[in-house]
Amino acid sequence: MSQIKAVNPQHERWAQLGRRAVWRLAGGVLVLWAVATLTFFALRLIPGDPVLAILGGQSANPTPETIAEATREYGLDKPLAVQYGLYLGRLVQGDLGVSYSQHLPVTKVLAEQSWATLQLTFTSLLLAWLLVLLLTVLTAGRRRWVSNLASLAETLSAALPHFWIGILLLAVFAFGLRWFPPAGSDGWRTLVLPSLALAIPLAGFIAQVTRESLEFTLEQPFVLTARTRGLSETAVRFKHALRHAVLPGISLSGWAIGALISGAVVIEVIFSRKGLGRQLYQAVQAQDLPLTIGISLAVAAVYVLANIVVDLLYLWVDPRQQGKTA
Amino acid sequence: MSALTLETQLPGIRVQRVARNVRLGPLLAFGFLLFVIIAALVPQLFAHSNPLAIVPNDAFHPPGWGHWFGTDQSGRDIFSRVIYGTRQSLLIGLAATALAMSVAIALGLLGGLGGPRLDRGVNWLLEILFAFPSLILALLFVAVFGSGIGPLIVATGLGTAPGYARMVRGQVLAVRHSGYIEAAVALGHPTWRIIVRQLLPNAMRPLIVTLTMGVGQAIVWASALSFLGLGAPPPAPEWGTMLSMGRDFVANAWWLTFFPGLFIVLTTLSTTVAGRYLQQRLEGRLS
Amino acid sequence: MRDNLSSIRHLPLLGIAALCSVLIGCGQQTSTVTRSDKPVSGGTLIYATDREPTCLDPHVSGDMPQVFIGQQYLDSLVSMDAQGQIGPWLATRWEVSADGLDYTFHLRDDVHFTDGTPFNAAAVKANLDHMANPKTQSSTAGGYIRQYRSTDVIDEHTAVVHLATPYAAFLEVLAQGFLGIESPTALLRSRDENCESPVGSGPFKIVRWDRQSQVELVRNADYNWAPPTAKHQGPAWLERIVWKFIQEPSVRFASLQAGEVDVIESLPPESHEAARRNPDLTLLVALRPGNPTNGTLNITRAPFDDLKVREAFVRSADVVGALKSVYFNEFPRAGGPLSSATRFYSPDFEHAQEYAPARAAQLLDEAGWTGRDADGYRTRDGKRLQVHVVMGNRTPPSEVTLWEQVQATTRQAGFQLIVELMSDVQATKRQADWDYDVRLGYWNTNTADVLRIIFGSEFIRPAGVGGYHQNTAGFNDASFDALIQQALATQDPEQRRALYYNAQQIASNQYLQLTTYPQSSRLGIYKTTQGVRLEPSLAVTYLYDAWVNK
Repeated sequence: MSQIKAVNPQHERWAQLGRRAVWRLAGGVLVLWAVATLTFFALRLIPGDPVLAILGGQSANPTPETIAEATREYGLDKPLAVQYGLYLGRLVQGDLGVSYSQHLPVTKVLAEQSWATLQLTFTSLLLAWLLVLLLTVLTAGRRRWVSNLASLAETLSAALPHFWIGILLLAVFAFGLRWFPPAGSDGWRTLVLPSLALAIPLAGFIAQVTRESLEFTLEQPFVLTARTRGLSETAVRFKHALRHAVLPGISLSGWAIGALISGAVVIEVIFSRKGLGRQLYQAVQAQDLPLTIGISLAVAAVYVLANIVVDLLYLWVDPRQQGKTA
Repeated sequence: MSALTLETQLPGIRVQRVARNVRLGPLLAFGFLLFVIIAALVPQLFAHSNPLAIVPNDAFHPPGWGHWFGTDQSGRDIFSRVIYGTRQSLLIGLAATALAMSVAIALGLLGGLGGPRLDRGVNWLLEILFAFPSLILALLFVAVFGSGIGPLIVATGLGTAPGYARMVRGQVLAVRHSGYIEAAVALGHPTWRIIVRQLLPNAMRPLIVTLTMGVGQAIVWASALSFLGLGAPPPAPEWGTMLSMGRDFVANAWWLTFFPGLFIVLTTLSTTVAGRYLQQRLEGRLS
Repeated sequence: MRDNLSSIRHLPLLGIAALCSVLIGCGQQTSTVTRSDKPVSGGTLIYATDREPTCLDPHVSGDMPQVFIGQQYLDSLVSMDAQGQIGPWLATRWEVSADGLDYTFHLRDDVHFTDGTPFNAAAVKANLDHMANPKTQSSTAGGYIRQYRSTDVIDEHTAVVHLATPYAAFLEVLAQGFLGIESPTALLRSRDENCESPVGSGPFKIVRWDRQSQVELVRNADYNWAPPTAKHQGPAWLERIVWKFIQEPSVRFASLQAGEVDVIESLPPESHEAARRNPDLTLLVALRPGNPTNGTLNITRAPFDDLKVREAFVRSADVVGALKSVYFNEFPRAGGPLSSATRFYSPDFEHAQEYAPARAAQLLDEAGWTGRDADGYRTRDGKRLQVHVVMGNRTPPSEVTLWEQVQATTRQAGFQLIVELMSDVQATKRQADWDYDVRLGYWNTNTADVLRIIFGSEFIRPAGVGGYHQNTAGFNDASFDALIQQALATQDPEQRRALYYNAQQIASNQYLQLTTYPQSSRLGIYKTTQGVRLEPSLAVTYLYDAWVNK
């Protein structure tokens, strides 16, 4: 055995995590820059004069003076490369421009709408995990028919499109039974149905992975050891097996954030909730360029951040992973 | 949408379990898929009324013997519309998946074979595409190119491509270092021939399964866009469009949204179950 | 699940024509819901509507959602009663010069805005200037006062408004909430700032706008200048209004049924029957004056440059059948260019558009569209009889369905109707380029002068650069223009009636539009709420007299 340095292993672990976080953050910034660039040029491809789009709206009849003013203000009289430079310059200063369909700075719209969507997304993720744990821990490796039934439920829920469950939940629990309000953005009661609609299919996905991994884990020698030490089955499952079994599910959760935000667009429309998703949908319909770019950037930022967190979480739960992934 | 199969998103994780003993599942799944394919080819076989023929006096008939799935707000037979809709929905699913795969193969080969620098580039590009949640990518695409079936297919294809590309790249890397490729290289076979004859077929084999599932997912995906009013324009009997047009009547006439949705679910479910079954067969797990 | 769903389904197909006319009559004559006679002061009313405005100041652009909120926090110079008579409000009286060009308004001296600014002649001037200023981008209010030239402040409470041409409809449009009077101090701020938090002198004031969710209004405790049409004087009964936006019609109605909201606007027609059967709910329906919902035919290009083809198209569309299935017979057919709620409307033109497939076929034969191709469409010189309907993406599904049915019935006559859905920006561009055969529209206003805006030759040219024309038909007729101008030059009601009769006749005979149903305001009211009214000028919700028992 070589010489062992007197290093606090806990300390070393945190340092590792920190280095990894910094490295990933730098990568994330690069990704955001690329997203901004891509969106900028994609939206410039939209046919029609951007000034008319900026002053657009269904009933606007801009005068030549306002057009000239807006052209100057947005730098549209300059070459595209210069415009791109100006745009990036503003972006770095946190200026995302003014939404012309909302008559508000984009940053303000983001500030007003983000919370509702984040709330929806995270509630859904938590709810999905709750369902997953309930379903898998209680049924994995049990009697065959129990396991099969649970597995069928998972496959089925993974195949359900959000918008369809959304409508069914709305029809049954809001219109029919009236247990929950059909619309709104305030209070936990308005959050139940929309987050269920998002959580059910997601739970199906995560549960499939977790079940497999749990069943694999339950067959491992260390579980057998735990059992022979006289631990109860539930204790074995929760204390020992679960820690290993949730790993693939955690890495799936990072991807799930993106999927949930996509889903939020439809769900916010169905449940008349406020939020970034519905706002984006409206911005696209109104060809509101600054707002569309702003929301895309915000969403990409959340996705990038969530994946960094998941990456670190993974590392923390399973230190063996260190250095394995690039 | 979470509609993307996790298989397409996370190549490391494979669900290998289902259908261990339930043979009925795959049977039903293949049966339903066969039904859908026949319905797409010869809808007249199942549906006897014109999916576009309106009979205002017959509007909002609940499901019954005359109209199995009821009638919609224009008195059109929903069963006929769902059956006739299979063609369009299936076409969208297939075309989008084919497009996604083509993009994925190009990117995957580039990444897998182009050396470490190119690989890093491709990897980074995928990272960027992943940072756009798929529906948002599609929304942007529709914003630029307008709505309709064509943009719908391209938007769906592009939205799903990064997942496939990541898989292709992984497969190419795995296959590339296998003995037979190295042998072929040692024998001095031209590169393109190795790619076409050896590398692609071997790398693609596991993907065939994913593709089966992908078609179902692409259908869900496209319906989501249609549901938002960005897809096939009405009165086309496209499942997502039907759902979108019926959702105002959820409280009065549930069948307008229930049945098109049910067909989307059944199709996705069938492709998933069938795909997994194929996977197990291909991997020799069912002896 | 199925049981639950089927237990709540209703098939309101039984709404018969008689019921419908009762309903309309009800809307026009008694627009008040009363359950208890004793108003209660205090409490919060939760109101839910479908569309969120993009700006709360109704001067800017000028869409219906703006005027609905505007009516709660703004007062107008004059008021309009249910008979269409103009009465005082912020102006106590006025004189019109003999040539119809100068209006002298004598104003109340006890009014101030909720920011403390006093209401006076300078405020009137600031408001009219604001609407007329191109920078405000006021399509509606600004469009209604195109004749406006300037305002002279004679003294603190007397203002003289000068017009360029005689405009007998001036007082009528001044009664609309779109031309509501705002605080001149607030108007000095930037347009966007004023959109966010406009200031009026009305019974409520805006305190907060939570985008995509709601607007909060609170009572103006100083309010003591209600119009003569109001049911009481002094401050409003309600302490607070929460004005919510719930886009989905079924969700909005379910929220009302559950009592989550007190009043909903745009009660979906498919829910009327359910609402009538529900003892907790009351319906309040009134038709809006103006030009009914329609598809306007572009007569500047083939095939609709031919009057015979226009009539054939209109006659081959079974609108009554479509209304029955799409709107459950809740919407009456509108057959003439004016809604029956418009002053000077004549019922004589209601039947000009009746479904007559045989006549349509004969007309098409006469017009030379005699061929038939393999698909059954009519042809002339090898060209198919095609009609392009250009619609924006945000066209409501029910409206799309209505046109699907028009598509199906006109097809039998040999028309190929092509529905083109596109983004609103694209659709506006197509309109500006005159690249369409049919455009959907309606125009809510309380004067028959609407005929000038939709068919007058002055509205053929776009209203501004990049904008679009409002005479969607492209109708250009000197005798029609002359009639309309004459009607504006006289204040005599009987003369105006006769002139507008002739104008309606010309428009009807020319088959410029396929009119479908009149626009209406449809409120569903929960049992907790009373005294909600629809103000007569545009059938706009008016909550000043409303109260809640909760």
